[in-house]
Amino acid sequence: MALDLARLSRSLPWIALAVGLVVPFLAQGSLYLLTTASIALVFIIYTEAWNFLAASGQGSLGHAAFFGLGAYASALIATSFGLPPLLTSFLGGLFAAAIGVLIGLTCVRLKEWFLAMVTFGFAIIIQTLMVSPFAGISGGWDGTAAPPLVSSSVPFAPFVQYYLILAVLIGVLIGFRHLLTGRTGLAFAAIRENETEARASGIDPVRYKLFAFALSAAVAGVAGALEVHQFAYVTPEIFGTDYSFWPIVYAISGGLGTLAGPIVGTIAITILWEGLRGLGLTYARFVIIGLLLIVIVIFLPKGLISLPERLRDWRGRRGEPPP
Amino acid sequence: MAIDPGTLLQILFWGLYAGCIYILLATGVNLIFGVMKTVNFAHGTLLMLGAYVTWSFFVATGINPYLLLGATIPVLLLFGVAIERLAFRPVLGSHKLNEIFLSIGLIYLFENGAALIWGSDYQSLRSPFESVVIDLGGFSLPLDYLIIILATAGMLAGLSVLLRRTRFGLALRATSQNRKAAQLSGINVERMDMLAFGIGAALAGAAGTLWAVSGQVFDPYMGSVPAVKAFAIVILGGLGSIPGAILGGLFYGVAESAATYTLGGAWKDAISFVVLIAVLVIRPTGLFGERGE
Repeated sequence: MALDLARLSRSLPWIALAVGLVVPFLAQGSLYLLTTASIALVFIIYTEAWNFLAASGQGSLGHAAFFGLGAYASALIATSFGLPPLLTSFLGGLFAAAIGVLIGLTCVRLKEWFLAMVTFGFAIIIQTLMVSPFAGISGGWDGTAAPPLVSSSVPFAPFVQYYLILAVLIGVLIGFRHLLTGRTGLAFAAIRENETEARASGIDPVRYKLFAFALSAAVAGVAGALEVHQFAYVTPEIFGTDYSFWPIVYAISGGLGTLAGPIVGTIAITILWEGLRGLGLTYARFVIIGLLLIVIVIFLPKGLISLPERLRDWRGRRGEPPP
Repeated sequence: MAIDPGTLLQILFWGLYAGCIYILLATGVNLIFGVMKTVNFAHGTLLMLGAYVTWSFFVATGINPYLLLGATIPVLLLFGVAIERLAFRPVLGSHKLNEIFLSIGLIYLFENGAALIWGSDYQSLRSPFESVVIDLGGFSLPLDYLIIILATAGMLAGLSVLLRRTRFGLALRATSQNRKAAQLSGINVERMDMLAFGIGAALAGAAGTLWAVSGQVFDPYMGSVPAVKAFAIVILGGLGSIPGAILGGLFYGVAESAATYTLGGAWKDAISFVVLIAVLVIRPTGLFGERGE
C-alpha cells in the first residue's frame, strides 16, 4: 500500500498535466468555463511566484505591485510599439523584476513584520503613483487598453490562448522545481530556518533573498501581463489588496512551500468561488473565503495537500491501524 | 516661499488632528505587539468597524456622536477580546507568517461582513459642531479639531494611568517585558493577551468614531490606507514602543499635512511610504526602536 502511494505521488505530475491538456475539451465549447480555466492557470503562475518568495522566508503582502507593473508595462509596450503581447508579457516581467530588485533592496534586511508592512505599502504607493503623477502614461483611474493575447482572427483563439498560458505555466513549474530542489532550495531552507547559521555556513542571505525577489517579481509580472491581455484592459484596481491577497489565499489553502500547493489551492478555491457565484452570493463569498483561510491556518497549516495525511492520522488515532 | 505664521499654525493643527487618528491606531498596534509579540494586520478593519458602530448607534439614538465614544469603545473592546481568543490564540507561537495570514482572513471576513450588514456605499456622519469655529487671531480652528485632539489626549492619558498606576497595568507591562517571568509570578498571561488585544481594538474603534465625527466618509474597505499609515508610524517610532507611536504619529500627521499643503492632495497618502522607506533604509528597526524585530 505504501509503495503504491509512493508510485501514485510520482505519477501525479503526469496526471495533472494530462488533466490540464484535456480541460478545454471538457469545457465543451463553453467560453465561460474555458476563460475561467485560463484565468486559473494565470493565477497558478502568480501564486507559484509568491510561493517562491515565501520559500526564501519572505512573505509579501503586496505582490499586486509586481502583478500590476508587469501588466501595465506589457500593455503599454504592446500598444505603443505594436509588438505581440506574448513577447511583451515577458518584457513586462523584466520590468517588474527591475522594480522588484529596487523594492527588494529595501526589503532584504527586514524581518517578517516589517517586510509585510512595507510590501503591503508598496502596492498602494504604486497605485497612487499610477493614478496621479503617471496618469498621463497609465490613463489614470480609467486604465488603458491591452491588445488581446491571441488575436480573435486566429482560429480557435480561446483554445490557443489556454494552451499558451499552460505552456508558460509548465515552463515556470520546471524552472522553480529545478531551483528549489537544487542549491538554491537548500540555501532558501537554511535562510528560512536560521539566517545567522546560514551566513555562518557561507550562504549570502542578501544575495539569495534579492534573487528570490527578482525572480518572483518577474514571474508575477508575466502572470499579470497574461491576465490583462485576456481581459484586453487594465485599470489601477490591479494594484488593490485583493490582487495582493489572492496568491496568499491560494498558496495557504493548497500548501505553503510546495510546488503542488498553489496548483491545488488555486483550483480548489476557484471552483468554490465560482460555485458560490452560482449561488448568487457577493460579499458573502469573501466572508466564506476569509473564514476558510482562518480555519485552514489554525487547523490545517500545511494546506489541503496535507489533508490525506491528516485524515490518516485521525483515523489512526481512533484506534484503527494505519494503512 | 514665505509662509505666514497663521498658515503655519493651520498646517500644524491639521497635522495634530490627522495625527490623532493615526496615533490611536499605532498605539493599539504597539500595545498588542508589546504583550503578544504579534502584529494584527487587520487593525485597519477595527477602525472601520468603530466608525460603523458609532454610525449605527447614532442612527438609532441620535445622541451627540462624541458621547458615543463611550458606547463604541466597549463594543470594540469585547470584539478585540473575541478575536484574540478565537483566532490569534490558536496560532500564537507557531510560525510568524501564520499570524500574518490569519490577519488576511480577518480582513476578508470583517470588510465583507461589514458590507453585508451596512452595505458597501459611502456613509458619513455630521458633527453637531460642524460650523462652529474658534477664531485664534491669525487663523480659524474648527471646534471639532480641538475636541478630537483633546479627546485623543484624554484617552492616551487614561491609558497611561491604566498602565502605570494600576495592578492590571503592572501585570500587563510585566507580561510585555518578560512573559515567562510574568507567568512564574502568577500572572495569567493569556488573559493579558486578550485584554491587550481588546484595548488595542478599543483604541482603533475610538479612532473610527473620531474619523466618522470629523466628517470623513467611510466604507467597509476604508481601513487599509489608515492602517498602512499606522504601520509607517509604528516603524518610525519603533515596534512595541507606545511613546514612539505618539511621537511618530504627531510627526507623521504634521509631515502629511505639510506635504498636502505644498505638494497637493494626491500626495497625501503616498507621503507615508516615502517616510516609511526613508526610515527603513536608514534604520531598519525604526527611529526609536531598540528591539530589532
